[in-house]
Amino acid sequence: MANEIWVVIERTAHGDMAGVSKELLGKARELADANGMKVGALILGAGIGDLAQVAFSYGADTAYVVDDGALAQYTTDGYVGTAAALAKKYQPALILTGAGFQMRDFSAALAAELDTGVAADSTNVMIENGTVSAVRSSHGGNVINTLTFAPGRTAVVSVRKQSFPEPQANPDRSGAAVTENLPGVPMRAKVVSVAPKQGAVNLSDAAIIVSGGRGLGSPENYYKLIPPLAEAVGGAYGASRAIVDAGWVPYEHQVGQTGKTVSPKLYMAIGISGAIQHLAGMRSSRTIVAINKDPDAPIFRVATYGVVGDANEIVPLLTEEIKKRTGR
Amino acid sequence: MHIVVCMKQVPRDNSVKINADLTINADGIEQIMNLFDEYAVEEALQWNEKLGGKVTILSIGPEDWKEQIRRALAMGATDSLLLSDPAFTNLDTFGAARVAAAAIKKLGDVDLVLCGRNSTDDETGAFAPALARLLGWTQLTYVGKVVTLESGRIVAERHLEEVVETVEASLPAVVTVVKGINEPRYPSLLRIRKVAKVEIPTWSAADVGLSAADLTPRLNLVNRVPPPPRPKGEIIEGKDATEKVARLVDKLMEAQVI
Ligand SMILES: Cc1cc2nc3c(=O)[nH]c(=O)nc-3n(C[C@H](O)[C@H](O)[C@H](O)COP(=O)(O)OP(=O)(O)OC[C@H]3O[C@@H](n4cnc5c(N)ncnc54)[C@H](O)[C@@H]3O)c2cc1C
Repeated sequence: MANEIWVVIERTAHGDMAGVSKELLGKARELADANGMKVGALILGAGIGDLAQVAFSYGADTAYVVDDGALAQYTTDGYVGTAAALAKKYQPALILTGAGFQMRDFSAALAAELDTGVAADSTNVMIENGTVSAVRSSHGGNVINTLTFAPGRTAVVSVRKQSFPEPQANPDRSGAAVTENLPGVPMRAKVVSVAPKQGAVNLSDAAIIVSGGRGLGSPENYYKLIPPLAEAVGGAYGASRAIVDAGWVPYEHQVGQTGKTVSPKLYMAIGISGAIQHLAGMRSSRTIVAINKDPDAPIFRVATYGVVGDANEIVPLLTEEIKKRTGR
Repeated sequence: MHIVVCMKQVPRDNSVKINADLTINADGIEQIMNLFDEYAVEEALQWNEKLGGKVTILSIGPEDWKEQIRRALAMGATDSLLLSDPAFTNLDTFGAARVAAAAIKKLGDVDLVLCGRNSTDDETGAFAPALARLLGWTQLTYVGKVVTLESGRIVAERHLEEVVETVEASLPAVVTVVKGINEPRYPSLLRIRKVAKVEIPTWSAADVGLSAADLTPRLNLVNRVPPPPRPKGEIIEGKDATEKVARLVDKLMEAQVI
């Protein structure tokens, strides 16, 4: 087993390195330094440009690069087949990926291919005496599990965004780029087209989320109150399942056990009762503000700040006050 | 077309307890069909209505999971299979995938496996990808629409965070579906009565040719705790809404969150 920690590099729609990959390079560097290991960046794609240099600047020692037209679009076969072939060749001790949909697809299949396990959507990863362990929650955040990988098998861990700070880039750092060829893998799926999603929101990226629930009374009230407040605080807007199922807001915006799990810096829950399935998606937010007219609403049990009152009265005042004070 | 739907029974809510031996204790919590699996069942039924063939509900769990299998049969599934064995009691995700893969190989004539995008209890989303790899089949996750399904071929839309990918792939395949792909139907009363006494075939580890060694977890659970309690919060008081709002904004600015 080589003494390497690999980070699978993801790109943004513009082709830059994704924030989560920088966070993971930072974490990999820290783990490598503490354990006498090296950091490898796995860069798969087509027209990869200077991503290897970017990876070095964030802490990679080596970049394993496969630049091939067949990898222009993500397919499980192409990406997992290639990564598995390289992992079998170089035997990294640990492979880190982000935990967005594409990487959840990738990491689980890769782990199966390598006959190891995957700690999915983890929030921490540790190495002690050569043993890799990871922390992940289950049961809607009500259970925190620590899992340990069997020694001698490559550990595969997908990590939730914003679990680690993004390191400072050092443009003077350099490393070794290793170019590899696409292995002969079956390609059973072909991406025919990619279309931007209507009204897409990436709630998991947002630092501030303002969510509304059934307490707002109507979809008209939701749109009158929630997006303007979200805009005033520079955030995205979310929703409880009750109003998604009622058709007020598209599913993309649903926060909770069967929606998105988010942990922003600030989460505002407005007219949301705080059912356990909703809490599952947002209870790890750093600061929680709840506005609800029922002083006994369960949401107040997790709120950092609670305001008891009618959302229709409070929210317009709040939006104005924030605009006034922040000059937005 | 033979479609298999993998279905898991989960607690209705996640206010579970942790036992001293680190197992999950969901006593007193109603058990339901994993919400995302309901969409998988519905999708299978709709295609079955168009294409004919059969829909098999496959579940790995104790005998009492038959209740949710019956629910799926009452929705309209034609066949069922429960994989039940004391050796399956504490399977990890990949262990479960190995059991399902062995059973699907034994069934033999399967074209498509549908699963929910993840279970709402373990939340790994890793079962279906592992299953696809173990079977050596195509894998399509986060599908929000199956556009075409025909002999040997599937076209599906994958609903990712910011884009919709249309993918064409060969069958057999393992597909996971997201909420919103359809509207799951309720079981019909007539069918509930009809399936109440249906024999649900049950296979053990030996029936699918798996040994204890095949089921060893790749990941070992070493600790399990409830989340740390949140620091006690504060209700913002004030003589009226304006005062409360001003105080709230003071707090948010002090905490540097806005
Ligand atoms: C399997 C399963 C999965 C689920 N997954 C999710 C999920 O992912 N996300 C999710 O959110 N839910 C989920 N739920 C649903 C959850 O149990 C609740 O039903 C839902 O969260 C309630 O939404 P709500 O708080 O908007 O509505 P309600 O429960 O109706 O609460 C409305 C709140 O608004 C307050 N209110 C009323 N009028 C006003 C006013 N004028 N001003 C201020 N406050 C007011 C009320 O006091 C109340 O607290 C799930 C349920 C199940 C069974």
